[in-house]
Amino acid sequence: MSGTGHALALQGLTKCYGSFTAVADVSLRVERGEFLTLLGPSGSGKTTILMCIAGFVAPTAGAILLDGKDITPLPPERRDFGMVFQGYALFPHMTVAENVAFPLRVRKLSAADREAKVRAALDLVQLQGFAERLPRQLSGGQQQRVALARALVFDPALLLLDEPLSALDKKLRAELQEELKALHRRIGRTFVNVTHDQEEALSLSDRVAILNHGKLIQEGAPAHLYEQPRTRFVADFLGKSNFLQGEVRESVPGGFVIGAGATRIVQAVAENHRPAHGSRVLLSLRPEKITLMSEQDEADNIVEGRIAAWSYLGAGFGLNVETPDFGLLRVALPTWRAPIAPREGLAVRLGWSAAASVPVMEDAA
Amino acid sequence: MDHAHRPGPWISAAAWAVAIYLLVPITIVIPVSLTDQRFLSLPQEALSLRHYATVLGSPEWLNSIWQSFLIAVASTAIAVVAGTLCAIGCWRLSRKSTELIRALMLLPIIIPSIVYAIGLYRYFANLDLLDRFLGVALAHGVTGIPYVVITVSTALAAFDPRLEQAARGMGASLSQTLRWVILPRIAPGIVSGAIFAFIHSWDELVIVLFIASRDVFTLPRRIWDGINENLDPAMAAVAVLLVVFTLLLLLLDLALRKRRDA
Repeated sequence: MSGTGHALALQGLTKCYGSFTAVADVSLRVERGEFLTLLGPSGSGKTTILMCIAGFVAPTAGAILLDGKDITPLPPERRDFGMVFQGYALFPHMTVAENVAFPLRVRKLSAADREAKVRAALDLVQLQGFAERLPRQLSGGQQQRVALARALVFDPALLLLDEPLSALDKKLRAELQEELKALHRRIGRTFVNVTHDQEEALSLSDRVAILNHGKLIQEGAPAHLYEQPRTRFVADFLGKSNFLQGEVRESVPGGFVIGAGATRIVQAVAENHRPAHGSRVLLSLRPEKITLMSEQDEADNIVEGRIAAWSYLGAGFGLNVETPDFGLLRVALPTWRAPIAPREGLAVRLGWSAAASVPVMEDAA
Repeated sequence: MDHAHRPGPWISAAAWAVAIYLLVPITIVIPVSLTDQRFLSLPQEALSLRHYATVLGSPEWLNSIWQSFLIAVASTAIAVVAGTLCAIGCWRLSRKSTELIRALMLLPIIIPSIVYAIGLYRYFANLDLLDRFLGVALAHGVTGIPYVVITVSTALAAFDPRLEQAARGMGASLSQTLRWVILPRIAPGIVSGAIFAFIHSWDELVIVLFIASRDVFTLPRRIWDGINENLDPAMAAVAVLLVVFTLLLLLLDLALRKRRDA
């Protein structure tokens, strides 16, 4: 299990089914040894892209390059990619060892080589002692590990993961997320993962590509995507967000001011991204970046409102605060530092800095 | 199941009536086969196995049994290979046209066999296949295909297509995927189809009446001739043997299904 990963590039990848465009002109690079996640809601085209990479779906247009070499016309059996399928697709009539040995048997390795590699792969996923079991005698998490061992045993150029953790319950999922991440670090291979679970995408990946309606909306490191969403969709899909709409009223040093009704909001902005005076802008504001202020506290932006609903979430409170100019604003409050005991109808002052929110684009229809 | 609705007296009676109606004609041959008389009748004074002895000691009957068996084996092989390949092909391509082909494959059990037999008679005359082992095996093989197509298609419908994708993704060629993944998964369906195709050939009469005359003389054909020519109770003995053999095959099928579902 040594060696470095391979680099993958998608160039203008497009897939149409009749008049329906499942993937529209997606270009993307996956660097050597990188863990890239394709993230999107169902129907966003993420699985179609993965199936194109694996070779099960022929793209309508565009090319797929592995280390600069065009592999678009190659059938899946000639691509040498490991894949973990949704639901694992273990062969039910074979034992764990036979399942893991399958890619080696296909490649006509000697029995001794096969045995050694199977043992190494089962060690890698900590399944020693399960070799003679049948898949149906294993738990979901163990089956997932067998699928991983089977996908890695033949030193594939690339590991493709199709919603690898979606069939597991929440606690096990978190556990396997950590294992998968550690495994990726250990073997240094290139992983391409598909998921609709934004938490999984954020915690596992070096880089995330967000898709919607077959289009690549934004890509980048998880923190970059979370802090600097480019569109309303990205801000809404990755985590939670409030959206504040207003009209640009004036310029201030390092930012601008929008007005909505009687409220003025200061927004920080880079000099070369200043919006035109009078244009309408949309700001994304994360619930955890809003703080509850006392009467004396000062902040760039202060908005008053009343708690319309609240819920206790263990680590925090979730408040829905009704405001005159922005409707309901969601506020996340750490429980142990909450300055108030929430109750419906309570008047609160919300504050945030000019750099807390970020201008985003309205989604193209 | 404790609280399932119990059937009323009328439904029970009707169900029993149907069951008896189905079973009586089969069971009636058992006492007849044990008759001590020399003609088709119920035993008069004692039970006798002499007609079984006649059948098992007669070269004609044994020859027919052997012929029927060989033809059934050969036609089963034809039906299983052709039917399985057809079902897998239709399943893999899975287009509108393959639906049509699958329906077409069922024609032999939709069209009355007498119509089929007349057609075969015309063609086989030209091909010099009349009254030949190969001719009958072919005819039975082709008419046995629907049973295999149905059972294998059913098995394939339950087959997870991702297993095939997984195999190919790991580098397996089509033939490796077929041998190591698809066939082992659908084997119970193939065996079921084979058993039905075998039974189909084993008791087929109408086609044989048309395309065979002297050299090929299957068991059903000999029973038929026996009934037409004399009322020898040996036929009842043969019929019992036939029923027992078929029953054993069906039990085998049942056992295999049980094992698969376990």
